[in-house]
Amino acid sequence: MKTVGIDVGGTNADGVLLEGERLLAKAKIPVDHDNLSGVIIALLEKLLGDSAGEVDQVHLSSTLCTNAIVNGEMDEVGMLVQAGPGLNPEFLDCGENLVFLDGAIDHRGGLIQSPPVAVVDAALADFSAKGLQSIGVVTKFSHRNPQVEQELARKAASFPHVTCGHNLSGLPNFPRRVYTTWINAGLKTRFQQFSEAIHAGVKRLGITAPLSVLKADGGTIPLERAEAVPCESVLSGPSASVMGALALTPREKDFVVLDIGGTTTDIGLFADGVPLMEPYGVTIMGRPTLIRALNTRSVGLGGDSEVKRTADGYVIGPQRHGVPAAFSEGKITGATPSDAMVVLNRMEGNRERATEALHLLLPNNPPEETAREVLLTFGHNIKLAVDQMVEEVFARPVYTVSALLDRQRLEPAEIIAVGGPAEALRGELAAAFDLPCEVPLNYEVANAIGAARTRPTLSASLYANSSDGTLSIPEIGLHEKIGRSFDMKDAEERLAAAIRHLAAQAGLEGELPPVEFVEREEMNTVRGFSATGKVIALKAQVQPGLANV
Amino acid sequence: MTRYMPQAVRKTGLILFPAFDWCITPDHPEREERLLYTRDQIVEEGLEDVDGIEFFNPELAAYADIDRVHLCAPSSKALLTESHLISAGGAVRAAKAVMEKEVERAFAIVRPPGHHAMQTVFGDRGFCVANIEAVMVEYLRRHYGVRRIAIVDTDCHHGDGTQDIFYNDPDLLFISLHQDGRTLYPGTGFQNEAGGPAAQGYTINLPLPPGTGEEGFSMVTDRVVLPLLDAFKPELVLNSAGQDNHYSDPLTNMNFTAQGYARLNKAINPDICVLEGGYSIEGALPYTNLGIILAMAGLDTGNVREPDYDPQRFVQSALMNGQIEGICQNALEIFAARKKWDTSVCRGEEAVERKSIYYDTTGFGVDQVRHYKLCPDCPGYTEVEASGAGELLHGFTVPFNACSRCQQAARDAFTRAAKAKGSREQVVLQDRVADIYETA
Ligand SMILES: [Zn+2]
Ligand SMILES: [Zn+2]
Repeated sequence: MKTVGIDVGGTNADGVLLEGERLLAKAKIPVDHDNLSGVIIALLEKLLGDSAGEVDQVHLSSTLCTNAIVNGEMDEVGMLVQAGPGLNPEFLDCGENLVFLDGAIDHRGGLIQSPPVAVVDAALADFSAKGLQSIGVVTKFSHRNPQVEQELARKAASFPHVTCGHNLSGLPNFPRRVYTTWINAGLKTRFQQFSEAIHAGVKRLGITAPLSVLKADGGTIPLERAEAVPCESVLSGPSASVMGALALTPREKDFVVLDIGGTTTDIGLFADGVPLMEPYGVTIMGRPTLIRALNTRSVGLGGDSEVKRTADGYVIGPQRHGVPAAFSEGKITGATPSDAMVVLNRMEGNRERATEALHLLLPNNPPEETAREVLLTFGHNIKLAVDQMVEEVFARPVYTVSALLDRQRLEPAEIIAVGGPAEALRGELAAAFDLPCEVPLNYEVANAIGAARTRPTLSASLYANSSDGTLSIPEIGLHEKIGRSFDMKDAEERLAAAIRHLAAQAGLEGELPPVEFVEREEMNTVRGFSATGKVIALKAQVQPGLANV
Repeated sequence: MTRYMPQAVRKTGLILFPAFDWCITPDHPEREERLLYTRDQIVEEGLEDVDGIEFFNPELAAYADIDRVHLCAPSSKALLTESHLISAGGAVRAAKAVMEKEVERAFAIVRPPGHHAMQTVFGDRGFCVANIEAVMVEYLRRHYGVRRIAIVDTDCHHGDGTQDIFYNDPDLLFISLHQDGRTLYPGTGFQNEAGGPAAQGYTINLPLPPGTGEEGFSMVTDRVVLPLLDAFKPELVLNSAGQDNHYSDPLTNMNFTAQGYARLNKAINPDICVLEGGYSIEGALPYTNLGIILAMAGLDTGNVREPDYDPQRFVQSALMNGQIEGICQNALEIFAARKKWDTSVCRGEEAVERKSIYYDTTGFGVDQVRHYKLCPDCPGYTEVEASGAGELLHGFTVPFNACSRCQQAARDAFTRAAKAKGSREQVVLQDRVADIYETA
């Protein structure tokens, strides 16, 4: 099986061609952020040459959606939002066209009151008059009862695009649902244009293989399907590096992945060889979302970070210094970790200038010693960030006595480092963590390899209340009646079927990776003083992992 | 996080632990499902993402934390499950979060509750085994040197356990608002229950008529609770935040609302809240808990309403208002006449108090005699003899604010009693000054 992996970064786009696990070719070109599809096609051309027809699949990790959000290049979205009782929803900040609707759905998915028809009609007429193309509809508790969102979507059907909150995620968290819906609806036009341009370019090159894009959760999704859920492709970069590290160094223990770049280091955590997920989703431009994502952190520590000396010691980052003295010309204005690496002969560069930079930093210290101290501080700071992440994972709320008593803190047994400065920092990282530190072969294209090797992910969630006689699987828009005898086994069957449905909808053919059930909750309900049924909550997922090759 | 989420005015900690795998019995009000809908509401509101609201898991209280407060028969280890230690540990975690300045305010939404657990514990009383507020209070005193504390108990049931534990403590002002004991479990909390001989007027009971709503609660808050807190000047204000005064609660007969709970919390402005009762698990708890959290954090509570809320339904009669005015007047007089030594209730060297304590969950009684030992320099130590359920307990308790003479006197009395003890009898020295719990 021949797979292409493309990772579009901030400065360069990397591509790899794999045959199974074997690296056949790699290529790199600079990125033009105004023409990402052009960059990707040019990279494919450079990578494949005449053999375009032999490729079996193409996986892309692109910054398109992330950039669109960061640069405010999203479509104006008409938002219809029913909040119901609770927090005052006025804080929700998603554009000029946000209309709050009266009415409510309660915590069990009971419809208390539908939104007023006249207000909805007037809002849609206004959106239409303004020429809006994309509509987002969200209610509180729509993961328990999608009916109001579905009804609103029907009313808005004449608009080219409508996003419903319940389709994007079955997780609770209303503000995140609102922001996710808004972002998804707002990315519609841009993503469609991108997708069309890629399809056209690929056709021109003679590539007939299916195309997928990488998601923030370490999985892939077919490009056609992503047109309906473009938000899923946001912040796929860290997930490419985490999956790349897994592809280059598969292991089944707890470990930490560091992708050390010029400005930042991305940190990912693995428990028993499986990457940890965020509890809800990514936060982008300050907005929390339900976009499923790997648990990664970006800290302002990189090769080009600014190094300062204070009474407490060295301060590295979070600001970027600019091009390090060792790689530039002209006046030396400051020191960077890269200069320290050059001084210690761990990296190619102008050693004289690097030495001068470190001398300026601490005039009375031998530059080699300053260099060693700076890199030790770098390793130490990374360790602090990892410790904090491990602690945050450990501190996630649990709700049962057994879960509280069984909690285990992640205990990394190894550090895997990728990225430009990784090799030069290996000793300091091993020392800071007191653990073995591996820098895998081909680490400089780890992200592209991660994009190539990743398999699809899927997830769905179920909420059943046999006392009220209702079942809901929001990701497939299902809300129906059930009998009193509905149990956990029924729940598993319905969810497995939902996953198959989602797989078919995504155009995934062949055998699915194993579906696992997580976060089981089952409780008897009592009304008055007698048992009336059960509340069952369950999630099913296809975990991120490496595709069989 | 950002301006895209609300920002708490006061950094507030939440210990939300619904213990979904623990119940007294499957159809008991204190069952797995109790905080399910509250958890669902809090999570759906996105409070985990609100800047300035921090979530903490509970820790497990140590048996020593329980033994600092209670005299358990046969022992705390025999009576308390891990769930009880977690519930008490949740309250302790809330206290730590505030004292360590991780947050300014904290709310432990934990179960089972604690305010019916008295000083002596023979089993489960009114769904409570360990008094989690009391465990927190003595923890605060032991580990953070806090002395003066006020507890405002706003559960619908009289906080008889908390009253019992701190009855003779003039450094603790206990105010309980509850439905009149003539109409509700546990049948106590009348205004003449005003404190032990060393703390007369430091227990203030406000028994309210069935049907009391927002107006009545506002009246007692404004006329009694706030002026008393002002006069007492506590270092910390704690709220036993039971939510069974709600109009939809199945076990009680009051008319209170989520809006009312939010306003009550704003007025009392407690440093730490601990959930107590509240058994309208769908119609009340999701909204009352949310209202309290938002009030503590200084966020807008105006939109926290039960789906069927209609203020017109909660207008109080003039008769009821008059009745509550009278209760307020009595309370103010009791507090105004407070004194740290009331020798008129003493005979010789001590004051004696007899109690019959009923354990409703399994159904047995305990007979108890407590001797408050007089001391001119401190509240004095107490001696308690309690028997029931085949257990005989003989305890000596030195309060945290005792003088060294009382501490020694209790030790001597304990040694004498241990020598003379019968075969079934358990003799205990609980010295809160030295943090000692010794049995013989
Ligand atoms: Zn109660
Ligand atoms: Zn004394």
